[in-house]
This record gives sequence, structure tokens and C-alpha cells, in this order.
Amino acid sequence: MYSAETALWCALLAPFCIGFVCTALPGARIALRVMCGCMFATALAGCIAIQAVYKTGPVRLASGWLFLDPLSAFHYGVLLLVFCLSSVYALLYFGQELRTGRMDRRQGRLFSGLWCFACAAMTLVLLSNNLGIMWVGIEATTLVTAFLICIQVSRQSVEATWKYIIICSVGMAFAFTGTLLIGASAKGLQLGSHDVLLWTVLRDSACGLEPRLIQAAFIFLLVGYGTKAGLAPMHSWLPDAHTQAPSPVSALFSGFLLSTAMYCIMRYIPLVEAATGTTGWSRRLMIGFGMFSILIAAVFIVSQKNLKRFLAYSSIEHIGIIALGLGLGGVGVFAALFHTLNHAVCKTLAFFAAGRLGQLFGTYELREIKGALHRSPVWGGGLFAAILALIGVAPFSLFMSEFLILKAAMDSSLFLVSALLLAGLGTVFICALGYLLPLCWQQSPHGNPDRGVFITAEAFLVYIPLITLLALGLWMPESLQSILREAAHIISGTTTASAIAGIGP
Amino acid sequence: MIEFIEILLMLLILFDLALLGVSRLKTCITISSLQGMLLGIFTVLAHTQGLTLRIALIAAAAFVLKGFLFPRLLGRSIREASVSLELEPYIGYIPSVIAGLALLGASLWLGAKLPLSSAIGIPLVVPAALMTFFTGLFLIIARKNALTQCLGYIIVENGIYIIGVASVVEIPMLVELGILLDASVAVLVMGVAIYHINREFDHIETDRLDTLKG
Amino acid sequence: MQAAVFTNLALGLVLAPLLSGIINRTKAAVAGRKGQPLLQAYFDIYKNLRKGAVYSTTASWLFRAGPVVGLAAAVAALCIVPASGSAAALAFAGDLVLFAYVLGLARFFTVLAALDTGSSFEGMGASREVFFAALAEPALLAGLATVARKTGTLSLTEMISTASANSPELVLVLAALGIVFLCENCRIPFDDPTTHLELTMIHEVMVLDHSGPDFAFIQYGAALKAWVLGSLIVGILLPAFSSSRPLMLACFVGAMFLLAVTVGLIESGMARLRLLRVPQLLAAASALSVFAFMLVVR
Repeated sequence: MYSAETALWCALLAPFCIGFVCTALPGARIALRVMCGCMFATALAGCIAIQAVYKTGPVRLASGWLFLDPLSAFHYGVLLLVFCLSSVYALLYFGQELRTGRMDRRQGRLFSGLWCFACAAMTLVLLSNNLGIMWVGIEATTLVTAFLICIQVSRQSVEATWKYIIICSVGMAFAFTGTLLIGASAKGLQLGSHDVLLWTVLRDSACGLEPRLIQAAFIFLLVGYGTKAGLAPMHSWLPDAHTQAPSPVSALFSGFLLSTAMYCIMRYIPLVEAATGTTGWSRRLMIGFGMFSILIAAVFIVSQKNLKRFLAYSSIEHIGIIALGLGLGGVGVFAALFHTLNHAVCKTLAFFAAGRLGQLFGTYELREIKGALHRSPVWGGGLFAAILALIGVAPFSLFMSEFLILKAAMDSSLFLVSALLLAGLGTVFICALGYLLPLCWQQSPHGNPDRGVFITAEAFLVYIPLITLLALGLWMPESLQSILREAAHIISGTTTASAIAGIGP
Repeated sequence: MIEFIEILLMLLILFDLALLGVSRLKTCITISSLQGMLLGIFTVLAHTQGLTLRIALIAAAAFVLKGFLFPRLLGRSIREASVSLELEPYIGYIPSVIAGLALLGASLWLGAKLPLSSAIGIPLVVPAALMTFFTGLFLIIARKNALTQCLGYIIVENGIYIIGVASVVEIPMLVELGILLDASVAVLVMGVAIYHINREFDHIETDRLDTLKG
Repeated sequence: MQAAVFTNLALGLVLAPLLSGIINRTKAAVAGRKGQPLLQAYFDIYKNLRKGAVYSTTASWLFRAGPVVGLAAAVAALCIVPASGSAAALAFAGDLVLFAYVLGLARFFTVLAALDTGSSFEGMGASREVFFAALAEPALLAGLATVARKTGTLSLTEMISTASANSPELVLVLAALGIVFLCENCRIPFDDPTTHLELTMIHEVMVLDHSGPDFAFIQYGAALKAWVLGSLIVGILLPAFSSSRPLMLACFVGAMFLLAVTVGLIESGMARLRLLRVPQLLAAASALSVFAFMLVVR
């Protein structure tokens, strides 16, 4: 236990400290390398802690203010995976930018520092047991990542940054009001100031919370954290930010920033359900927001001209799917968590590929990127496979999780929801293929492929996520199943083992 | 004492209405600064029975941050961007005040409806908090100038702060300080963003930030 | 009781023109001038009464009715508003609505008379007058409604005898009524009574074509209106603290003169607002009144 706690402290504090170091280093490349090394060291420490959670139960720190239970451990695992992959990618991507002079030394250092701070802030969100600290962490991610968007200053990126800051700050204000209302609803419990916002304490005494205040609080929280998660109709910052940010940052945003906010909502669902007497009120809200996001994303994907914008709307769609899964309950929660992992891996890969192709072609306009497979087999192939996986083609694991969510919807005889879900997914499928085929296969006007510039690390960045997605789609290891089951148990409060027993090819 | 706090809260609401009807940015900033100072005084007055070091610290932090630091930061941005007036907002000043009165009505109604038993037993607290919150949101939505939007964010924070002080007394100190810190960093970040906008676009009218669509 | 009512009426009828004299003397004193005589308004009225009236051939009976109705309405308003802690001549439940609309009637006829001249110039003044009145009226009505709700009565006499300015809502109402007072009496910052620069005038421009006794009526009516609105403000501000009539009377008259001095000081301290700004100030007054009303209703 002792070593797990130490490891967790290291994993939380190391990125924070290294962030300062990075901004002080002389060169951009050395800063990027230090940042990369720091991420892997953090990942190592984090893995030790995660392992301890699954072996011996939740790890508690700082007299219960910070803790790691299966739900947060699962998310923490995803976070570490996304950060490690994106850090390596950032090294390659910004290496190219530095070579071509599109980025200067100061920006490189700033990026490395902010990147580490972002990691620390998101870790804080996942670790905090105190709902107030959780909010502080989320707000910190907003502030830190704001300048990641406009690290390469241009008119568009500044505009996107402003939209991101103002919309997300207001969202965070809503979330904070919700947090306060949660605290106010616990007034009847006579908790001390140390316990009043502790999630574990509130969960144990959720029945004593004032139901009407809890409902008001959940609406505020859903709108607030939903803004950050990119749920429609609060999503309007998301496409702009994803398009204008450098690709490693887009990958991080899509891969994990959105999930961090979803994680906060996940924490509140069991509280609300217990306090309102398991009427499914909060779940119905989640279904509503989830469906709306899927449909809005499907409508907007129909007429996209920009590759990264298309991927951004796809993120809204997938966040909607996760919210829908959470709303359906039962096996849906399990599937939503599984989908979180799948989407993180897959969307990270998609943005990696989009970013490198963008560097090659000098644009992200779908009209002008042609014959990507010919031009760069590694990244073209990566993008091709990633988008296929994103739209739910069969052997990939996203198909599995989406299928499970559809099954959950059918099981609870929500046929309208199922039909709308299928319609949304179908629209995205058709449109995405429409964009993808010319993008990959059409004859390129640009002539020669430049196969020479790639190094093996890039191939790894493509193949590791792809193989993960394929493998998870074909066979889910027993350990992952139990991890997901435990995490889902925390959200739904009831055991889902029986519902999951019949799953798995 | 209760009457005094009531008067304080009425002044807060009056400041909200004034913010909606004033076009000069400097006046807006002064009003927000006064409002911030009122919040600091309010914190102390609301807890005269059990005035602890914790509450005194929070009150002092609010007083200094909201009363002096934020206005100073915004004032600097005004000088840098050399704007003094909010020109042609989406919703004009008189309609804004009328909307503000409607919002006030809504706040009073909601305040009566929400079972937020305020810790200090003053019925006007929750409506005043909600009104301030809504005013901030309204400023963000109805104004074009990036600075006014930033000001709106500060006002929203003020509203939340009142809820926090009045209804949940027991929030741990660390959390409250974290929140105040976050708010000030947010204002700082917005200030830097406004600086960038001004440098890239030569203006800070957000309705003219329209390159990204779809 | 009867005696008190008649004293009040007589006081209003006699002292009303004195207010403008006090305002002017205050302004002169602040500016370091000697100023016009205190009784200048009386002299003006007397002078105009002795003169003959000139009527345009195109003007109809409306033009002649304007000043008469205006004066009659002002006298009626004087009968409704209580003063110096005693009942008004006319007191019944709901008289505050009558009060507001008696003032409205006076304005209506003044405007009609101005329009009747057919001069585009007076039409412009009428348009401005109506525009500002439309904004000032909600402030007055909501303010009166607030006091009515607060005191639980619909009669001005009872309202003013029970109201006392120690509640914050009434302070808000008083502020709003103060702004309305300045607006209705065409004082700075709404209108500059000393200027004859046509483009900036509001009230003055409407009565340019009136002459002789008609103009005297208008001047006297305006003075009475100022007295009536002033006694409303003083009534809310000044509680009936003593049962001694002479003391109350003295306090009332003193407060009215003090009000006039305050107006004089305000006029010395600030300039006329740009015409575009005037609606904003009136909207602020309305906002204050409505806010106070919401507070008492909640």
C-alpha cells in the first residue's frame, strides 16, 4: 500500500514540477524530450498505483481527499495511454514544425510546460474525492489548455481560443453552481467541513440528500461539465478548438479532455439516482443529451470541408454515444466505459494521421487532400483504418461497444432511441466513407510519394493503437472485463455481471 | 444587522441593473469593482456571529481580488486595446435594463421556489445571487466586446460567490481558496487572450471574429 | 380638519411660483451672481395676465383649451395630494390613479394645443414631451404602486400618513420620484429652462405660440405641478412626527424650500444631458421603481 501511495503522489506531482522545468529549459527540442520522458515516468508510477487498486482496493491519499477507485483507475489508465502516445507524437510533429520554422523555440518550451500542467490537472480531476477539488482541476485544465490551442498564434487560432475560454468558463461556472447546490443539499446530514463535498461520504449517505436541490444541481452540473465534454447544444467551441489546435493537442482534446468532463458527470449519476430514489431521472436526461449530440453531429458531418473539423464532429457524436450508454444503464454503462477507451485510442490515432497528412499536404481541406495512401502509406493507412474504426466497421472494438449500447437500448425497449441511434450512425457512416474514399484512393495531383522521411517510431504510433483496437474487437481479456465491470458497478450501483456474461465473441 | 445586509444585497442588485444600462466600459469596471468590495463586506456581515479566521481570510481575498485586482487587469486591457465604449451591442441598453428587470422577477420567483435554506436567514440572498449570475450571463451573450464578456464572467463568479457564502458555509478553506485562485487565473488568461485578439485583429469585437464556421 | 385642508390648498396656490424663484436664487448664489428677485415668477404671471392674447387664424378651440385644461388639472392634482400631515381635499381609495392621470390629462391637452398650431417646430417639442412622458410615467406609477403595497392602502392621503422613508424600498422610490420630478418640471438634466436655443427645448417649445393670459395660465400651472410633485416627495420623506399643526406646516414648507434649493444645486452642478441620454436616465428611474415594487411584492 505504501508504495502505491508514493507512486500516486509521484504521478500527480511529477508532471507539475517538470512543467516548470520545461519552461525554463533553453531549447525547444530538449524541452519536448524532457516532457516526453516525464510522461513515461509518470505512466510507470501511475501503472503501479492502478495495479494496486485492482489488487488491494482503492488507494487513499491526503486523508481521503484524493483517492483512486476502479472507476478513476480505469480513466487514469486511459489518460496515461493517451498522454504517452500523444507525447511521442508531439515530439515528431513539433520536430517537423521546428524544422520548417513554423514554430519558434519559445513556443516549443511553452508547449512542453503547458502539456505537463495539463497532465497534472487532469490527474487531479481523476484523483480527487472532493467534488470541489474536482471542479478546481477541470477549471485548471480549461485554463492550461486554452493556450495550447493558440500555441502557434494566428487569427483563427486566437478566435478559437477565445471561444473556448469564454464558453468553457461559463460552463465551469454552471458546474460550480451545481457543486455548491450539491453541498447545500447535504445540509440535512450535518457533515463537518472536511466531509461535506467528499464523494465517498455523499455516496454512503446519498439517501439523506434533499432531492429537489439535487435535481437542480444535476441540471447545472450536466450543462456545465457537458459544455466541457462537448455535449450538444453546448458543443459550439469544440469544432473550432479542434480544428485550430496543433494536431497533438487536438488528439489530447478528443482523446481525453472530453472524457475527463464525462468522468465528472459519471461521478454524479449514482448520487443523483440514490437521492431521487432510483427513478431514472438523471439517466433520462443523459439519454436526451446523448441522442441530441449524436443527431447534431450527424447533421453537421454531412457538409464538412475540413478533415479536422470532420473528426471534431465525430468526437461530439462519440461523446453522445457514451452519454447515451450511461443513460441506458445496465450493460450500457459497461459499454460506455469500453467506448471511452476505444474512442480515446481511435480518435488519437485519427488526429495523429490527420496532423501528419496536413503537414505533408499543407492543408486540412478535404478537397485538396487526395491520394493519401499513395503519398504516405503509413499515415494514409492509419487514417483510413482509424476512420473505418470510428464509423463502426465490424472487427474493430468500437463496433463492439456501439453494438452493446444498441443492445442495451433494445433491451430496455427504447425503440425510438435505437432507431435514431442507427439513423445517426448510418448518416455518419455514409458521409465518412464519402470523404474517405477520395481522400485515400483518388489520384494525387502532387506526384511523387515521399516514403523516405518516415522513421520507425511513426509506424509504431500507427500500429500500436490499430492492433489494440483490432484485438479488443475480437477478444476482450478477462482482466479488462473485470476492470470495466468494477468501474461500471460504481456508476450504476448494481452488479452488471449477469448482463455482461453473455458478451464476448 | 439583517436590515443592513438587505440593503447591501439591494445595492448589489442595483449594480447589476446599472451594469446592464451603462455603455462606458470604465464605468462598468468601476461598478464591478464596487460590487466586489460589497461582496467582501457581505462575507463578514453574513457571519458576524461566528467570525472565524477562515471567513475573514476569504472575505479579504474576495475584497482584494474582486475589488482591486480584476478591475486593474481589465483597466489595463482597456488601455492596451484603447476602447472606451461598447458600440452597438446585440441588445441595446434600455432593452437590456428591461430584460434585467425580467431576470430579477425570475430570480425572485426561483429564489422562493428553490429549497435553499440560506444559512443566514435572509430571504433576499438567493434572488440576489441568481440575479447577479443571470446578469453576468446576459452581458456575455448580449455584448460584443471581448472585455465586456470578460466582465460578464466576473459578474457570474460574483453571483456564485454569494450562493457559496450564503448557503454552504461549510466548504473547506482549501477548496474556496482554490476556487478564488482559479477565478483570478481565468481573468488573467482572458486578459492575455484579449491582448492576442487585439494584436491579431486590431479590435476586440467578438462579432467580427467570424472566420470559423460550420 | 376643514381648516387644515383649506390651509394646504391656499398654501399651494400662493407659494407655488415661489419655488422657481428659490431655484433661480440658489443657482445665482452658486454662480456668484445676485440673481433675479425671489418673486419674479409672480411678476411674470401678473404681467402676462394684463396683456391681450394673440391667436393664429388657423388655430382651433383646442389651442385655447390647452392652457385652461392644464391649469384646471394642476389645481385638481393639488386637491388630491395631501400636505403637511393632514388629509387632502379629495381622498378616496384609488385616488393615486386619478392623480397620475390628471397630470396625464394636462400633458395631453398641452400637446394637443401645441400640435394645433400646425408648426413643425412645436410638433417636434410635442413629440419629445410625449416620448419622455411615456418613459417617466412607468416610474411614477410603479413608485406609487410600491408605496401603496408597502402601506396597504390605495389612497394617497393614507399612504403618505403611514409611509416613512426608513425602509430601503421607499428610498428607491424616492430616488425614482426625484428623477421624475426633474423631468416633469423640465429641469436640468432633462431640459434647460433658461435656454431659448430651440433645438434643445422640450416644454418651452410647445408653448411658444401662447401669449397673454393663456401663457400666464401655463406658467402658473407649471408652478402648481412642481408644487404638487414636490409635496408628494416631501410627504413620503417626512413622517407625521408631531400633532402640532403649525409645526407640521412649518416643516412642510421648509422641506419644500429645501427641495427647491436641492434642485438649484443639482442644476448648478451638472449640464443638460444629450437628448439621446435622457431616455436612459428615465429608464433608470423606471428600473428603480419597478425594482422597489418587486421587492415589496415578493
